[in-house]
Amino acid sequence: MSAEVLKTPIVSQPGAPPHPLSQFWSDFKANFGAVAGLVVIVVLILLALFADVVAPHSPIVTNNAVFLKPPFWQQGGSTAYPLGTDAIGRDILSRLIYGARLSLLIGIAVVTLSVVTGTVLGLIAGFFRGVIEIVIMRLMDITLTLPSLLLAIVIVAILGPGLMNAMLAVAIVLLPHYVRIARAAVISEVSKDYVVAAKVAGAGRLRLMFKEVLPNCTAPLIVQATLGISTAILDAAALGFLGLGAQPPLPEWGTMLADAREFVLRAWWVVTLPGLAILVTVLAFNLLGDGLRDALDPKLKR
Amino acid sequence: MHAKALKPAALTGAMPNRNLAPGVFGAAGLNRAETVHRGVPTVNRSILLAGVCALALAVASPVSAKTLIFCSEGSPENFYPGVNTTGTSFDGNEPIYNRIVEFERGGTKVVPALAEKWTISPDGTTYTFELRKGVKWHSTSKSFKPTRDFNADDIIFSIERQWKEDNPYFKVTSSNHSYFGDMGMPKLLKSVEKVDDYTVKVTLNRPEAPFLADLAMAFAAIQSKEYADAMLKAGTPEKIDQDPIGTGPFYLVQYQKDAVIRYKAFPAFWGGKAKIDDLVYSITPDSSVRWAKLQKGECDVMPYPNPADIDAMRKDPNVTVLEQPGLNVGYLAFQTQKKPFDDVRVRKAISMAIDKKAIIDAVYLSTGIAAKNPIPPSMWSYNDEVKDDPYDPEAAKKLLADAGFPNGFETDLWAMPVQRPYNPNAKRIAELMQADLAKIGVKAEIKSFEWGEYRKRMQAGEHQMGMLGWTGDNGDPDNFLHTLLGCDSAQTASGGNIAKFCYKPFDDLVVKAKTISDQAERTKLYEQAQVIFKEQAPWFTIAHAVQLKPVTKRVIDFKLSPFGRHTFYGVDVKE
Repeated sequence: MSAEVLKTPIVSQPGAPPHPLSQFWSDFKANFGAVAGLVVIVVLILLALFADVVAPHSPIVTNNAVFLKPPFWQQGGSTAYPLGTDAIGRDILSRLIYGARLSLLIGIAVVTLSVVTGTVLGLIAGFFRGVIEIVIMRLMDITLTLPSLLLAIVIVAILGPGLMNAMLAVAIVLLPHYVRIARAAVISEVSKDYVVAAKVAGAGRLRLMFKEVLPNCTAPLIVQATLGISTAILDAAALGFLGLGAQPPLPEWGTMLADAREFVLRAWWVVTLPGLAILVTVLAFNLLGDGLRDALDPKLKR
Repeated sequence: MHAKALKPAALTGAMPNRNLAPGVFGAAGLNRAETVHRGVPTVNRSILLAGVCALALAVASPVSAKTLIFCSEGSPENFYPGVNTTGTSFDGNEPIYNRIVEFERGGTKVVPALAEKWTISPDGTTYTFELRKGVKWHSTSKSFKPTRDFNADDIIFSIERQWKEDNPYFKVTSSNHSYFGDMGMPKLLKSVEKVDDYTVKVTLNRPEAPFLADLAMAFAAIQSKEYADAMLKAGTPEKIDQDPIGTGPFYLVQYQKDAVIRYKAFPAFWGGKAKIDDLVYSITPDSSVRWAKLQKGECDVMPYPNPADIDAMRKDPNVTVLEQPGLNVGYLAFQTQKKPFDDVRVRKAISMAIDKKAIIDAVYLSTGIAAKNPIPPSMWSYNDEVKDDPYDPEAAKKLLADAGFPNGFETDLWAMPVQRPYNPNAKRIAELMQADLAKIGVKAEIKSFEWGEYRKRMQAGEHQMGMLGWTGDNGDPDNFLHTLLGCDSAQTASGGNIAKFCYKPFDDLVVKAKTISDQAERTKLYEQAQVIFKEQAPWFTIAHAVQLKPVTKRVIDFKLSPFGRHTFYGVDVKE
């Protein structure tokens, strides 16, 4: 009992609060799900980075001798193709690994695009109010009223199918969330004393926006961005499934799933594995997002 | 005893649905009703029947309407076969219309239909048709009641509608009478005259061996002139193609795009009323869904099964899989008027770079045989001497280098979005081809459009390489070699020759063969044409698909059409 009480002051210097990062980490690691999510994501990132080294085969080369070979633990499978092959003789494991590269790229690129644009728009709306705010926010409201996937389909239909266009479409669909969050945070920050002090000290508008206010609005944006990655991956997979996203032979998970639909009863691995990959990735990002929110949001502190 | 009698009574209580359904609900209701019907146990049938009869009388609907449900694969574009080009649309029109002559059900023989007999002049240029008397038009449309029987005017109207640009109906629905043009009819026909009400004389500019078979094809459907005139006066000419009136064994009751087409047997049909009372096309684009519906008894006949499901179908005790070598070919056409495919070496190189066997093994499975000629082996004049290009990527690479592309080139590869009788999965084939072509340095981008758009753009020649196929519609080699590869159909922007292949020596042969009526002589010409075809390689011929049609055991006497059509007149169902 007494030993524990004694220990505490040794770890943190008396009078000085713990560094925010270490405080954050101790909060974060208390959440088991979040840590598991983080581990999965780190593994995925490593796989994606070293796909060329890790993957046993090329993701696009077909082997005409092995159509629909089952995974190695099933009868007829071989360790040359650990997770089996698809209908035209491509190694599923390799496609999944290269697919991770695509899915992460999609998630990160889409979210970066919409976070940056969304934050800027939200800052402008929060600072300038008046007509500018009304124009921006009503525009975002209109976007929000449309079902997100439908809107994405319309955008892709106009731009033409393809990975880039699908990413752009998903980014547009996700945009309103960031704009609204940024604006709400900005409005509550602007009236605070430190902003007034900075203003009195003669800080310009840009400095106020980006140097003073923005850093204090980042927490909710980071949380939303992490959750946004999973939405982006899911939406891009859905577009791929509908044939509007990544085009063959790119090994995108949603596209793989769509191509394999007819084999549901005959060759389960062609359908199940990409589906599982999407599930695990999205789940990992969601868990990570939840953990981040718990750790970053002071209101939720235990 | 009492308890026993109660049970069927309770069952009959549940029956009104069944009797009401055929007249009132859409396909879904109907399907369910049919399943209920088949599920009725045989206990105490008389009581049950009595109950059914009483109920039937009460709601005044037929006691036991025989219904056949066909799970079709798509929606017809309209009800005017003259402007259609797809089997889907022809199937939708088949129950409604008749033609001057028709093919016997399940065969390629030409038999009398609206014409009872005909004579051909010795020089082969004049055809005199004696028409059938007392043929009634459907009298079920709300907007029009026919006052006269079918006669020669209708024939002349139906031909002139496709032929004469000054006919007020020429442009109605579409001015693109694709088949009529592709078969060279405008140049072939000299005159179509009415001798009397029941005699028509057709004069041709030159003898044309397949002419009679041409007239038996779906595009030559006969429409009512009286109806057309009435609608023209009313200012709604397009109505004759949307609310069709024909002389066929069934009349149209309802059409809901992408959902259902419902027909009823026409009691006054000249050939006698059909054995079934209701015919329903339940439109189901996904082949695995069609199969699921067939298993559950929600449809009786389905076209284009998924090759992967065939084994399961053969094992199902309630399903018979009908099988016939198809009169079709699936191919990859090179746009021969565009660079780099205007060079025969490039076309040959691509043909040698693609592994045909892999495509058959992976996509067609047991349902296709590799194709080397543009016509199927079951057709007369098939030239078995022709050697297919070997699969040889090395030689292909060398050939490409000779043609000036040592590092390959970039191109597009079009794949249709839908399953066709000659091609079960174009996208998968495209992916295989893409991988094969990558090995010789050719980067192909797979492109696909909505099916209607796909064909339109392909016919306009917007592609560089594109997949399509053909199911023969009159059993004559001319229907493949001239229609798909002749100069006539290469020049128009709507022609069926999507390779835009117009090669004089080839065209001369197939045009000459048209004018000769001696089959042995024609065979020689067509065999030669196939040799030239292989040398020039405007297509990479993929496969001839075996026609497989799963039908439930309940269907009696359904015959496979060699043309891949679905004809339900003459088919019966077990109660």
